[in-house]
Amino acid sequence: MFFLVIKRILLGLITLFIVSLITFVGVEVLPGDACTTYLERQAFGAALEACYERLGLNLPAYERYISWAIGVLQGDFGYSLSGEMKINEVLGPKVKNSMVLASASILIGIPVALLLGIITALWRDKLPDIIISTVTIFSMTIPEFISATLLILIVAIWLEWLPGIVIVPSEASISELLPNIILPVIAISMIMTAHMARMVRSSVIQVMASDYVQMAILKGVPYWKMVFKHVLPNALLPAINVVALTIAWLLGGVVVTEVVFNYPGLGRLVIESISNRDLPVVQALAIILASIYVSINLIADLMTLMLNPRLKSLQIKK
Amino acid sequence: MKNTFRLISVSLLSILLSFSFANASSGTFKISHDLGFGKDTNLDAITKGRLFQVVIMTQNRLVRKDLKGKVSEELATKWSANADATEWTFNLRKGVKFHDGSDFDAEDVKYSLMRVKDPDIGSPAKKSMSSVTDIEVVDSHTVKMKLNTSFADFPLLLTDYRLRMIPSGSGDTIGKTGIGTGPFIVDKFDAEGTTILKANPNYWEGAPGLAEVHVIGIPDGEARVQALLTGQIHMNRYVPFSQKKIFDGNSKFDVSVVPTGNWRGMVMRTDTAPFDNPKVRKAVRLAVDRQELVDLVMGGAATVACDTPVAPSDQYRLKMKCPQDIKKAKKLLKEAGYPNGIDMVIHVSTKEPTWPTIGEVLQQQLAEAGIKAEVKMTPSKSYWNETWMKKPVAMTRWNERPADSALHEIYHSGAKWNESYFKNPDFDKNLADARGELNFNKRRKAYRNAQKTLWEESGTMIPYHVSKLVVTSSKVKNLDEVEVFSVRWHKVNID
Repeated sequence: MFFLVIKRILLGLITLFIVSLITFVGVEVLPGDACTTYLERQAFGAALEACYERLGLNLPAYERYISWAIGVLQGDFGYSLSGEMKINEVLGPKVKNSMVLASASILIGIPVALLLGIITALWRDKLPDIIISTVTIFSMTIPEFISATLLILIVAIWLEWLPGIVIVPSEASISELLPNIILPVIAISMIMTAHMARMVRSSVIQVMASDYVQMAILKGVPYWKMVFKHVLPNALLPAINVVALTIAWLLGGVVVTEVVFNYPGLGRLVIESISNRDLPVVQALAIILASIYVSINLIADLMTLMLNPRLKSLQIKK
Repeated sequence: MKNTFRLISVSLLSILLSFSFANASSGTFKISHDLGFGKDTNLDAITKGRLFQVVIMTQNRLVRKDLKGKVSEELATKWSANADATEWTFNLRKGVKFHDGSDFDAEDVKYSLMRVKDPDIGSPAKKSMSSVTDIEVVDSHTVKMKLNTSFADFPLLLTDYRLRMIPSGSGDTIGKTGIGTGPFIVDKFDAEGTTILKANPNYWEGAPGLAEVHVIGIPDGEARVQALLTGQIHMNRYVPFSQKKIFDGNSKFDVSVVPTGNWRGMVMRTDTAPFDNPKVRKAVRLAVDRQELVDLVMGGAATVACDTPVAPSDQYRLKMKCPQDIKKAKKLLKEAGYPNGIDMVIHVSTKEPTWPTIGEVLQQQLAEAGIKAEVKMTPSKSYWNETWMKKPVAMTRWNERPADSALHEIYHSGAKWNESYFKNPDFDKNLADARGELNFNKRRKAYRNAQKTLWEESGTMIPYHVSKLVVTSSKVKNLDEVEVFSVRWHKVNID
């Protein structure tokens, strides 16, 4: 078990290394760089040289990568090219803001998804299932940028209930953020909830059809006791992985939603820094997002292992 | 229990109400800015990172353009030149105070303008001050500016939106404080969030009609349009024309189409065959149907230009007509030795979203005159380095500048940005004459002669000057319908 954890962490670190390389090469091969983007028409001669000098872009690519990588290992992402600010300071409030958005979506999304999934499974092919399934499939198919825009149109423009876009500084406190994040949270959790609800539904249906549940029914175990004691614990275990994947997917959804709602988080920063060719920030963001992705998957795997004794014994035998 | 329920419902209701009425609080004008590249992070008007939406409200210039585009007084009340227009004397307004309580005087003018030339600051406004060699403080409210050349229209240069007056010696702090003599005072500066400006009750033109102005950072263009629709901002000066329909006929919004001096064009390098022959260049330009480009590319929201970079509203603009003339174009090509027409490759990119469309329309139009044009896409991020001024034919775009700057910077034989490599002694002479001519009518004639030369010989096809779609909330009153830098902000009101 211990070795397994170590092995997974090492694999995760290698993944992060590869991600950083791909990002670096990707931004490097794009035509233009931070200086030509910043200077536009003045990008020639002395001004261009001075800019390269100032930002250290005159060094060969591999040297820049190595010095950057050493900094990151020491917890220092360096300076952003455009704002000339320390990236750690730029990122801090944005990470917090995105976390607020993501956790609110998860806290609302997971219980709702479980509830909907269980209801649709237990009332399979009956009216509640048909209605809920139709709605979830529908909301799964609408991309966030459309549902977000529709939400703004209906709730903010027509009904005038909530502010349309988020107007708060990055350093805003959580209590300042909360009233602003209602629409973004709905937009993000719609797809996520729908996905999870479908997974939970099929998982519950599968368990309900298994031999031991049939046996319990034949033995006359009361229906709800059977559902809570025998079906749900077994059905929800595989759902943990699905939930982890969905949370990882959430990172991408957050990017789109943040841009639509002008939310001062990581997602908006991703888009801004890519269009500014701000390589250090793009790399820092890629590393952060990849680490979240890797660690969520790691945690999910470990949780499944711990909760499922059968998998644990299999691993030890190997 | 009942009380708790009532408490909850009342507070819920008040939260909902505060959301719906928060935007209607009277006396606060809300606008946005796009954070710019490198983040618009300071309030020092002469730096590249200046947040101009704020400084145009907190700081004044010496002179500004009035609603008709003529130079008019702001902090300077009178000005005059010596006989050859190399020395300019400005009389300053008396009794004006900065937001920090200090008096505005001649030392502040000298300080504010001379620091534009400081190489350490590297101000993009340096060009406007390049002809000034020295500023002499004559008395507390008079300055004399010495130029290294004759320049009859020097006051026009001082209407540059960046040349703002700040307290002498405040260079190190101005980026944060934004102190000036303007109608609004910076209360809280937050480039990424909301910057709050409060009315300056002692403003020299009278107290402003608005109590507060909020300048909100919204980087995404779509989000800005949405903020306007939901009433979170009251004005958007960058609404794409494709979204005009959303606002047309909606009583909550006022839509105005404001002509600007910004233009798009196609550059033929005059040092590269076959475009080194002026007849070929003119043939290509004659084969263009400009009105059709205005209608197809801009949906009518542009003013036809006859290859002059001078803005439609500029007093020096040469007024003429230039309809498509295929017959004459063919004749010119024949005279130049190309009876069967020519081949050319028009380089475009998505750097400017309309370039590819312009290219395709041109392709059709030029074909009528026997010119076979191919439209070639190039990478947008490296466009200014690798395509513009490198390929024989490429698209260009310029923002509005005074007639003299536009003609000098883009066509003068010695100009760094002479994108068509245009060299014409008559043209250069007309520009020099205009600068030294203090008589307005004669000066205008010289500038117009220069534009005539462009029509005959230039390598730059300028089909139109674009108009701008400005949408404001109908609650906003008394907003001058001019470019943003000439608006008199103290007059604006909100219901």
